[in-house]
Amino acid sequence: MPGIDECLLEAMRLPGARGASVVDWTSGLALGTVGDSPNGDHEATAAEAAELARLAAEHKAFAPEEGADWSGGQPPVEDLIISNRDSYHVLRFVRTTFDSSVFLHLWLGRSDGNLALARIRLGEMAERLVVG
Amino acid sequence: MEATPLPELGRPDLVPQAREDLRAGAPPGLSPMLSRLAQERATGVLTRERGVLYLVEGQVVHAESPATPGLDVLLTSRGALGSEGWWEAVSQAGAERRVGRFLVDSGRLAAGALELCHLGALYDAAFFTLGTSSGPARFRYGVAHWIGPVRPVSVDAVERETLRRRALLHRIWPDADTDTAELVRTDRAVDAVLPPRQRTVLDQVDGVRTVADISLVLGRPGFHTLVDVRRLAAAGIVTTRARTVEVREPQPAASDPSTTSTPSTTSAPPTAPDPSTAAVSTAPDPAATERAARAAQAAEAAQASAEPDVALLRRLRDALEAL
Repeated sequence: MPGIDECLLEAMRLPGARGASVVDWTSGLALGTVGDSPNGDHEATAAEAAELARLAAEHKAFAPEEGADWSGGQPPVEDLIISNRDSYHVLRFVRTTFDSSVFLHLWLGRSDGNLALARIRLGEMAERLVVG
Repeated sequence: MEATPLPELGRPDLVPQAREDLRAGAPPGLSPMLSRLAQERATGVLTRERGVLYLVEGQVVHAESPATPGLDVLLTSRGALGSEGWWEAVSQAGAERRVGRFLVDSGRLAAGALELCHLGALYDAAFFTLGTSSGPARFRYGVAHWIGPVRPVSVDAVERETLRRRALLHRIWPDADTDTAELVRTDRAVDAVLPPRQRTVLDQVDGVRTVADISLVLGRPGFHTLVDVRRLAAAGIVTTRARTVEVREPQPAASDPSTTSTPSTTSAPPTAPDPSTAAVSTAPDPAATERAARAAQAAEAAQASAEPDVALLRRLRDALEAL
């Protein structure tokens, strides 16, 4: 059963992966990091990504029309995708069986990254991280 | 979760009591003693006014504070783990101090789940433990916690995170009163689109419970509740019971003038939560009736709000001073 480090190392094996982290979106705490971060500071990146994740999780505009409830206290949003000229960011919410507000953050080079693959794999990793 | 005292490996209390925060030049609220212990790669437990930090070879491996629920509450509240599963792990592996490993190895909990929950609880308890305090700190060498190794973090990381969290709270709402006081709802209408996690916290505000009580009821990390309560305070939806009473009839005992005139996260030394109120939700105590009466009075005060402008002006002043 993978822990945080194994999960992050697996994320780094995805094509084009530059860096990955596990972040708490309430506090902005980086619970684990690997590889590079966009501004050279994983902790600062985590705090900024957490702000974004919190808005996406909390605002009704991003919830599905049906089943927008926070069943088990978990946000109805699955992931966030951001693209810029040279990279992608995928933020994947982790559903836990205890009270938490955690997401996986993967930073991906645009030229060698595969966004569709990364998104699917990150979802699987988020599940394995807490279910084993 | 109470740390069961375990046999010590000698050298107890080698470092004498120190009034750390009163020392000139020390970073505000953080612990010079902790930095020294990290440097000398110490193993043992640091006890401060609001919690304890366990170190192994200078790294933080565990932390506990009455201000935030322990790992047992966090894991069992939502059913990640049955309470019998927890206690079985404690009885089977507690003596060897490897309860965490046992939970994972026996298939009760995924490694990632344990790490996420434990690490979150560690940083949370460390935040409260390293909060401003004037009390003595002491370190007992050789003491280990029965949870055992999970995911150690450096003292540097813990201190940086603690300072970052203080700044985060200050940005949300600069008045620290709601961090430790009994909370009441104001008469302000609640926005229908209040985020669900804030709504859950608000539902627990009853004029008696503090942030620590609410965290315990919800099985939610204390800092998370702290953040949501600051947001609710910033929105004018929640305030302290003392403040609503004070508006109607000033009660010197209930509010310290210095805390209301200088709203800053560092200026108001948080008082340690009263242990009797920590159990208020689960075990009714003899003072419960009196508290309920006070709560009703406070709620009435907040509802009636004879001079709503006073509260509004106070909030406005606090916000302006924080600029």
